[in-house]
Amino acid sequence: MNLSWNRVLTIARREFLSTVKRRAFLFTALGTPAYFVFVMGISIGSSANEARDVMKSFTSLAVVDSSGLFGGAEREIETRLRADENPFAENVPLRTFRTKVTFYPDMAAAEAALRGGAESQVVVIPTDYLETGRLRRYAAKSSLFSSADRRTISSWLAKALLGGRLDTMTAARVINPVQRSQLFTLDKDGAFVPRDDRRDLLDFLVPFGFAMLLGLCITVGGQYLLFGVATEKESRILESILCSVSAEELLAGKLIGLGSAGLLLVGFWIALAVPFVGAAAVAVPVSLSPVVVVAAVLYFAFGYLFYASLMTGIGGMTSNMREAQQFAVWFSFMNFAPFIIITVILSNPSGALATGLSLFPPTAATTMLMRMTASSSVVPVWQIALSLALLAGASILTLIASARVFRVGMLLYGKTPNLPEILRWVRKG
Amino acid sequence: MLEVRDVTKRYDGRAVVNRVSFEVRPGEIFALLGPNGAGKTTLIRMITDILKPDAGTLTLDGEPVGGARKRDVGYLPEERGLYRSDKVVDTLAYFGRLKGMKDAEAKAAAAALLERVELDEWMQKPVQQLSKGMQQKVQLCMAMIGEPRVLILDEPFSGLDPVNVQLLEQILHERRAAGTTILLSTHQMNKIEELCDRALMIHHGHMVLYGTVGELRRRYADHAVVVRLENGADGPRLAGITGVRDAEPLAGDWKLTLEPGTTQSGVLRALLDRDVALESFSHAIMPLEDLFVKVVREGLGLDHGRSEAEAPVEEVLR
Repeated sequence: MNLSWNRVLTIARREFLSTVKRRAFLFTALGTPAYFVFVMGISIGSSANEARDVMKSFTSLAVVDSSGLFGGAEREIETRLRADENPFAENVPLRTFRTKVTFYPDMAAAEAALRGGAESQVVVIPTDYLETGRLRRYAAKSSLFSSADRRTISSWLAKALLGGRLDTMTAARVINPVQRSQLFTLDKDGAFVPRDDRRDLLDFLVPFGFAMLLGLCITVGGQYLLFGVATEKESRILESILCSVSAEELLAGKLIGLGSAGLLLVGFWIALAVPFVGAAAVAVPVSLSPVVVVAAVLYFAFGYLFYASLMTGIGGMTSNMREAQQFAVWFSFMNFAPFIIITVILSNPSGALATGLSLFPPTAATTMLMRMTASSSVVPVWQIALSLALLAGASILTLIASARVFRVGMLLYGKTPNLPEILRWVRKG
Repeated sequence: MLEVRDVTKRYDGRAVVNRVSFEVRPGEIFALLGPNGAGKTTLIRMITDILKPDAGTLTLDGEPVGGARKRDVGYLPEERGLYRSDKVVDTLAYFGRLKGMKDAEAKAAAAALLERVELDEWMQKPVQQLSKGMQQKVQLCMAMIGEPRVLILDEPFSGLDPVNVQLLEQILHERRAAGTTILLSTHQMNKIEELCDRALMIHHGHMVLYGTVGELRRRYADHAVVVRLENGADGPRLAGITGVRDAEPLAGDWKLTLEPGTTQSGVLRALLDRDVALESFSHAIMPLEDLFVKVVREGLGLDHGRSEAEAPVEEVLR
């Protein structure tokens, strides 16, 4: 294959500029992070505030005590919560919530008070509570994500049961035996390092973030290529272009130009994320080894080549953009499939599933990046080498096959080939 | 000179172009004819190096087409298409750069071409704002940018109004005068008769007719002469002339079909002997359109093309 790099770069420049100048590119560049921030803001913000919201509305508790064990219990419960649930927030003050306790003679009276809004919740303590530990709670509504009110009631019950039998300090420890525990786990170097919520969160976010960026970069570049080829075929301009350049030059130019557009987009997103990542990194330092960085670059290169080639083949063989999208969505899905089982991969990065997916070319890039950046994982070098070799081999084969399909299919209009025809194109194209 | 020698292309074992050979000289407008599905587009795609032949050679000035030679070929395909959201001048400049021109050079050439096709006012507009005919002229410019030595035009007149048809004809004459080798594929036979020097007709992938346009029209014409009378009333006097089998009116003229063995000079003498006043007397030639229909309907030349496919092209010519 004798390429004229002058023509390849001319095509690459046009593909790059025509893509980044589109309004849709700007919309994607700004809209995607805005969407993520919006969705995550709502999700994280609402879950962080959930405990506070629950306690704010839990102002009164009606008690129907058939056991007779709680007659001397306190008539007000004091609960203290962190004002900010963000694990990276330092020196967060505690906020106090008070819940009034009122005893009712029977369930009917307590229920009437609950229905009338005079009480937030009702707890019914049966006669055999001490033997069984069973009780019933009634509430107008319950929170899906917070059990702060249940913990408050548990503490109140424990305190009442212990009342007078133990000194205050011992009673406090029985009620809350672990005020703060620190867990130390082995890191990649074999040393014990302290773990906390922040570290746990980062252990999830770093592999997730890296794999997501890589996956997005590959997919965005591939999608641009799919769009470029499909629309060009639809516009019937290919024949004019192919008089001036070879199919291989056109393909190479598109791969370079549209891949660069995808990189620019992801680079922009990374730049946007730097202030946030930087703040988190100051709180909890994250170190990435050069091996991870080099591997990420190689996985990007081969992963992009693999998916971009696939998309080119799809764009070349289908008749229009809609049809191309229908085929492409399945291949894009493969790239993101590891995210569906990210918890399985991160909880056991050296397990058979994680290892298998990191060797399988369509899922190798994202899975291996997850494994390599997971704090508890040490990926054997041979696995990285084998994974890269398999991905590189698959990329080259896909490129050759797609170039053949592209060359034959690009001038066929109005008919999508069936599988035997595609295989024939691949053999003879 | 563009030379095509024994070129064959097969799809699924079927030859869609079968041992076709011809050449197109610099400064010549050459017609490529054939019914739909004859193999014209496949042949053109091989000349433009979009498809590779299974056998045979295609050369431009002795070198294989394609590769570095791609810049020497300009092509207006039958399937029209443009980047609809790009500016007209940018589209042309892009094609200029693909032909190896520098940025400024490509833009200047684009501007000059747009001026020539009377689209200079539309230079900065996006293509989608142009009418279909205007877009076709932009595509013509795409084919011509970089002044390629070979210009291949597939149905260039379709969709153009008479003014633009005339403009295109002028441009073709200019290019011919500049020494460009022009290959024209069209179903508008009158345009071939007006513009083309030589023609090749293919049918079922085989060469069936090849030669100068005039020669082809004469070769397959009936054994007849066409006369124009000074006095229309002389018409009935044409019957019964020795050697004339039939006399029939033909668009204001008279077509005299001759008996085998009768010479044109013999008929002319007989007419003059009868004191028939003649305004003109000429050999009957077949309209290209009739010739085309005859080839397709009656398979004229098909057997000839097949059997002669083994022979050198010059023999097929004769």
